[in-house]
Amino acid sequence: MRFTERNTDGPQADARDDVVFALEGVSYRYLDRFAALDGVSLSVRRGERLALLGANGCGKSTLLKLLDGLLFAETGSFRAFGNEVTEVSLDDEQFHEAFRSRVGFVFQNSDAQVFSPTVREEIAFGPLHMGMAPADVDTRVDDTLRMLDIADLADRAPYQLSGGQKKRVAIASVLVMNPDVLLFDEPTAALDPRTQDWLVELIEQLGAAGKTIVLATHDLDTLERIADRCCVFDEAHHIVCEGLPSAILRDRALLRNVNLIHDHAHRHGAVVHVHEHGIEHHAQHEEHEHHQHAGAPEDNAPAGRVTTST
Amino acid sequence: MQGEAGEHGTAPDWLVRGEPSLCPCGCVGRRQRGSYVEKTVRGLSGALRRALGADDVAAQPGLLQRLDPRIKAASTLALLVAAAFVRNLFVFVALYAAVLAVAGASRVSVRAFVLRVWLFVPLFTGLVVLPATLNVVTHGHVVVPLGTWFGYRLGLTSQGLTAAARIVLRVAVSISLVVLVTLTTRWNDLLGGLRGLFVPKLFVQVLAMAYRYTFHLLDTVDDMYMARKARMVRVDRDTKRARADVAASAGALFAKTHALSEEVHLAMIARGYRGETYTLRVPRITTADVMWLASCLALAAALIGVDRAFH
Repeated sequence: MRFTERNTDGPQADARDDVVFALEGVSYRYLDRFAALDGVSLSVRRGERLALLGANGCGKSTLLKLLDGLLFAETGSFRAFGNEVTEVSLDDEQFHEAFRSRVGFVFQNSDAQVFSPTVREEIAFGPLHMGMAPADVDTRVDDTLRMLDIADLADRAPYQLSGGQKKRVAIASVLVMNPDVLLFDEPTAALDPRTQDWLVELIEQLGAAGKTIVLATHDLDTLERIADRCCVFDEAHHIVCEGLPSAILRDRALLRNVNLIHDHAHRHGAVVHVHEHGIEHHAQHEEHEHHQHAGAPEDNAPAGRVTTST
Repeated sequence: MQGEAGEHGTAPDWLVRGEPSLCPCGCVGRRQRGSYVEKTVRGLSGALRRALGADDVAAQPGLLQRLDPRIKAASTLALLVAAAFVRNLFVFVALYAAVLAVAGASRVSVRAFVLRVWLFVPLFTGLVVLPATLNVVTHGHVVVPLGTWFGYRLGLTSQGLTAAARIVLRVAVSISLVVLVTLTTRWNDLLGGLRGLFVPKLFVQVLAMAYRYTFHLLDTVDDMYMARKARMVRVDRDTKRARADVAASAGALFAKTHALSEEVHLAMIARGYRGETYTLRVPRITTADVMWLASCLALAAALIGVDRAFH
């Protein structure tokens, strides 16, 4: 599967339309009691891949639902493609159609997203509701099935699919609408390593094809592959930092503060080995680079601080 | 990790000690009977899963499997109407024989098919119509005397037996027709067939989603009982507490279902749903489909005609 490379000529040419989403001081509470977002301000630029980082319950999924116009902020404003997005503005048929066809959302729970009796009908749901001609819908569905290598599942019922297959179907059901912006909620959660790798490659290719991608994750190991920029949430539901993935990953104090990593200690005989949990691959990569720069012999030891102890 | 009980992030002492109540000798005690609650819930879950998910017969290359689901639904409807109108027992028997022949041609195990229908018909319909066979309910010629009861001579009347046989046969033939269609048609095709019969799209969509999420909820029910069983160290004989557990599980399941339904609704809205339902095109009807429908309509008309001729 390959997508067309993104158009990179003239980055200033369409500077006016550069911001896809703009949130200003957005707050949201569930049941009027439980805060999920507190004064969040954020811009998403066209064609960028933005990762929302944070521990469980920090408000990432709520923010994605807000960006998809499924929930509406209690305070603050949300603009998409230059237009204010509110419950009232989405009642406008033309705006609703334009917004829904330009923004696609892959839910974390594929069981909630894959609701039709067969895979084919599931993938056709979006295009049919966009008002596409049935013949075009058939063609698109077949193309999408082939692209995601799930043509053999076309007539299967959702209860006959594995978790990884359901995730593929959920992604297919969104990609078939060819949205400009893709929102992924914990895309790699609960997937086996092979499916995780497939999904990371897909996100890389979608990004290279010029799609704007916003994803919620706490998977730090794949961060540099799937994101160009990160927003880090703390557990008080604020954005505490924005930056490049490499800079965020280097800032261990920040990651510890927002509970994305923690120090883990275990014993090898008389030696207590202390290392970080939650960022293993990146730490190994840094250690590897450190050894190479210092001229030390390469080894496979995990990164960490080694201290002797009684 | 070990530390004082209550200290943040540390395990209390009792957690890092062996539990004295656990016997390490592997001794064998009294055999316990399984919980009736678990048996009932898992039995129901299994039966529902088998009934809804069995599409092995529908995948066979048989007579009915080749037909369009809309045609099957329409022809079944015509024969059901005929079964509702006829009164003659021989006509019922002829119709039932035709149903069995079609079942055989559709690679359905005739023995299993007959058993499936006749195990339930006497149980539900037979018991209901039994009093109608007695001379105290249906007056007429007593053919099977049952003795005297409080000075009244009881017996089965020929009129009562004929009426009971008519009702039982009508139910058996009707159930057989419906079972035959459901056995030879995949559920999704059946829903497509309903769409073709001008059943409102919203109704079909609700039915389809109910079917799809039934399996999800069955999985959830199974998981809940597995999780409960995994922590049941001793068998609980307190039926009051068992009932309370069932009620609590039902409540938890309801809450989960509600949360899932909200999520599903959001997922639908995210892809453009605004209350209108659009579905894929259904396939074209072939000449064989039309011929089958015409044959069934002719058979239905013939059955009603013959029945009227007998009267």
